Amino acid sequence: MTDSEIRELCNRFFDAYQDRRVDELAKIYAPDCVVWHNVFNREMSGADNLAALPKSYAGQRRRTYNDRTINTFAGGFVIQYTLHGVQHSGHRGALWICIVGLCKDGKITRIDEYMDSSKFAAWAGVEGRRAKAALSEAASGGSRAQRAEGERS
Amino acid sequence: MKDTGLRELCNDFLDAVESHDLERVAELYAPDLAFWVNLTGAESSRERSLETLRAGHALHRRRTYDDRTIDTFGTGFLVRYSVNVVTHSGKRASLSACIVAQCKDGRITRIDEYLDSGRFRPPRQEAQ
Repeated sequence: MTDSEIRELCNRFFDAYQDRRVDELAKIYAPDCVVWHNVFNREMSGADNLAALPKSYAGQRRRTYNDRTINTFAGGFVIQYTLHGVQHSGHRGALWICIVGLCKDGKITRIDEYMDSSKFAAWAGVEGRRAKAALSEAASGGSRAQRAEGERS
Repeated sequence: MKDTGLRELCNDFLDAVESHDLERVAELYAPDLAFWVNLTGAESSRERSLETLRAGHALHRRRTYDDRTIDTFGTGFLVRYSVNVVTHSGKRASLSACIVAQCKDGRITRIDEYLDSGRFRPPRQEAQ
């Protein structure tokens, strides 16, 4: 894939994520796509990630993916961005996140997400166990296992 | 800079940090280096970054930067890695982090570091 194609795919991915277009994300993820988070140090399948999104989206009134800085390399992209969230309470917060995406044949085959979990409570406007559970929801959708881990912590 | 030069610079930098060779780190930093980390959202200067490295060295018995996956782009490099720490009490800890670096003329001009402070507490600067 060329630099332009990778950049376009990256922006398509983030636009779809922002617009809650799970159907579009399903087209962007390769069938064997893997999603990994530094907070949990665990991989999940793209299918599990997509399945978790509706519940994840329900946690906030709005999420926007702003200040996107994209660099491409052979086989993928790295994007640094600010995730702005508006909670149902009206509380607003921002997180700084970096995602590395590996791409092939117009699709994303792997996503590595890096964020700081200690910022999440302020972002979500919640505290303690609720923050940890909500973190699992926000980290690119999270998974049932990750949510359980957050609730146990 | 070419791919090979960027990869070499990346490994030189992490090797120098790992071996606490701050003279070498200083050589690899451009005079106007900016160091940003997602833990604070604030930029620090070259001098401040070196000072943080100096102060952070005594916090652990050993710190290694392993599992390096390096990719390069037009103006810099991306490195994903594991920081493995052995504390003075012998306890081991590991965190996954990534750095996006801008480079020019063989030096690093900007570092953006992303990590999870939940894996190391306190102090925050020890992960740098």
